[in-house]
Amino acid sequence: MKLWLFILKRIIYAIITLIGLTFMVFALLHVGGNNLLLATYLNPRLTGPAREEMIKELVQRFHLNDPIYVQYFYWLKALLSGNLGYTNTPIYSGPVTTAIVLFLPNTVMLTIVAAILIWIIGIPLGVYSAVKRDSIGDHTIRVITFTLYAMPIYLIAVILILIFGIYLKILPYSFPVNPILAASLPWYKNGISYPTHIVPLDALIHGNLIVFWSALRHAILPSLTLALAIVAGVIRLLRAQMLEVLEQDYVRLARAKGVPEKVVINLHARRNALIPVVTSYGYTVAGLLGGAVVVESIFNYPGIGYWTTQALLNDDVGGIMAATLIFGVVFVMASLILDIVYAILDPRIRY
Amino acid sequence: MERYSEFRYSLKIFFSNPTAVAGFIIFMLYVIDALIVQFDPRLLGISNPNVLQMNFVNPIPQPPSPKHPLGTTYPGIDLLHAIEAAIRFDLYYSIIVVLSGAALGAVLGIISGYVGGLLDDVIMRITDIFFAIPYLVLAIAIGFVLGRTYESMVIGLVIVWWPLYARYARAQTLSIKRMPFIDAAKISGVRDLKIMFKHILPNVLPPIFVQISLDLGSIMVIFSVLAFIGLIPNASIPELGYLTSLGLSYIESAPWAVIFPGLAITLFALAVNLMGDGLRDVIDPRRRSS
Repeated sequence: MKLWLFILKRIIYAIITLIGLTFMVFALLHVGGNNLLLATYLNPRLTGPAREEMIKELVQRFHLNDPIYVQYFYWLKALLSGNLGYTNTPIYSGPVTTAIVLFLPNTVMLTIVAAILIWIIGIPLGVYSAVKRDSIGDHTIRVITFTLYAMPIYLIAVILILIFGIYLKILPYSFPVNPILAASLPWYKNGISYPTHIVPLDALIHGNLIVFWSALRHAILPSLTLALAIVAGVIRLLRAQMLEVLEQDYVRLARAKGVPEKVVINLHARRNALIPVVTSYGYTVAGLLGGAVVVESIFNYPGIGYWTTQALLNDDVGGIMAATLIFGVVFVMASLILDIVYAILDPRIRY
Repeated sequence: MERYSEFRYSLKIFFSNPTAVAGFIIFMLYVIDALIVQFDPRLLGISNPNVLQMNFVNPIPQPPSPKHPLGTTYPGIDLLHAIEAAIRFDLYYSIIVVLSGAALGAVLGIISGYVGGLLDDVIMRITDIFFAIPYLVLAIAIGFVLGRTYESMVIGLVIVWWPLYARYARAQTLSIKRMPFIDAAKISGVRDLKIMFKHILPNVLPPIFVQISLDLGSIMVIFSVLAFIGLIPNASIPELGYLTSLGLSYIESAPWAVIFPGLAITLFALAVNLMGDGLRDVIDPRRRSS
C-alpha cells in the first residue's frame, strides 16, 4: 500500500471515530437531557402563558421535536461554524468556546511540563534499571514503579501534598498563584489571568517577577503528580525493551569490537529501545488529559479538567458535549499521528 | 491424565514465583474479607455493611487508637470498619465490570476474527470508537440517562472496557484460525458456531483470563476515582474513593483519613498485578524460561 493511501485511510477512520463518539454521547445526553436543557435556559420565575411561549421558543431554537440524529446534525453544523453552545457552571458561564480559550491554556501548560518531567525522570531511570539489572538500585526502582503503577492518581497527589506541602512546607498545593498576591493584580480576575490565561507567562508579560515565582511554585505539584502517574509505565516499558535490545547480536558485536560501554548503551541500545516507548507516548498524552481532570480539581487549578468536572457535576449539557469533543479529538489525533509516524518508521505496519 | 499433569505443572510454576504468591495471598485476603462482610458482618463488628456508620457527636477525624485501630474520618466514621465494608463493595463492582466486559469483548472478538471480511472491518471500527471514549465522559453521560448510581457507572465502565478484550480475542482467534485442527473440524462438517465456541473459545480464554486479573486493579482504581471526584452523590455508601474524598478537607490535621482508604486500593491493585504477571508466566512459555 502506498503511504499516502494509508494516511488517507487512517484520516477517514479517525473522522468516523470522532463522529461515532460524539453522536453516541450526544444521543445519550439528549435522551435524558431535554428537560435539563430546558431547565438551564428557562427562567424559573416565568409562569402561565409566558412560560408556555418560552418553552415553545426554546424547543424550536434547539430543534427538540426533531429526531436525535437531526438534532445531532444541527449540533455538527453549529460546531463547524464555531458555535459550541453555552455552559453554565459555578466557575464560568457563557459561550463554550470562550470557556475553552480561558481554561485550556493552563491544562496545556501542566501537560507539557508533565511530559517533560516524564522524559527527564523516565528515561535515565529506565535505562539505569536495565543496565544495572538485579542491583539494589534496579530493585528499588522496580518496587517504586510497581507501586506508582497501582496507585490511584489522587493518592499520588495526596502523598505529594503531605510531603512537600504539609510536612516540609516548601511547596503550595492550592490555586494557580498565591491568592493574597493575586488579589491586588489588575490582570487577574475571578481566578483567570489575562491575556494568555497562563499565569506564569502572564506574570512575565507584565514584568511581575514575584508573581511569576509564586505561579511557578504553584505549578510544580500538579504537574509532578501527573508525571508520576504516567512515568511508572514508561520506566517499565523502557526497561523491558532495553533488556531485549542489549541481548541482540549487533550490541554484542559493538561490544566485541571494543566500543566503550557508555556509547553502546546510549547510542546503540537506547535508540532502538525508545521506539516502542515513543509510540506508546501518544496514549500517554491522552492519559495526561484524563489525569488532569482529577489533578486540577484536587489542586484547584483552573484548567479544562477542572471545568469539565464542574460541568459534569452540574449536569451542564454544553460543557459535557464540548469536553467529549476535546478529549475525543486529542485521543484520536494522538493515535492518528502515531499510526502515521509508525508507518513511516516501519513499513510492515501498512499491510 | 495428561491434562491433569499439565495443570499441576502450571500450578507449580505459579507457586514457585514468590511475588505472584504474595499477590495471590493478598487477593485472597480481600476476597475473604468481602465474603465475611457479605455473610456475617458482625464477625468484624459491622452492624450494617451497606451504610456508613456516622457519628455526629464526634465528627472531627480522630487519630488511630485502640478503639479505632485506623482512626476515624469525617463525620466520625470508624475507618477500619468502613474500609472492610468498602472492600466488599468495590470488589463486587470491579468483578462485575471485568467479567461482563470480558464476556462481551471475547464473543465479539472471536466472531470478528473468525468471520473476517466486511463484518470484521465494521466490528473493529466500532471497537475503535468505543476505545476512544474517555471513561469519565461516558460515565457521566450514562449517569445522566440512568441516574447517577453505582450500577450506571458499572454500565459505563463495561462500555469503555470491552474493546480491549475484543482486540485480544480477535488477535488470538486470527492465529488459532490457521491451525490444522480448525481445518480438520471444518472438513468434517462442524458448524461455524460450534467451531467458534467449542474449539476457539477455550484457546482464547487463557490470555483473557490473565488480562482480567491485571484489569481488576485498574477497574477498582477507576471506580474509586469516579466516586472520589463526586460523580456518585449518594453519600452514605461505603466506597474507598468516597472515603478518601471525605478525609480530603482534613488532610492537614488528619492525614490517616486519606492515606488508609487510598492504601487499601493501592494494595489490591498491586496484588492483582503481581498475580497477573505470575499467571502470564504460566501461559506464556517464552516468559517462563527467563
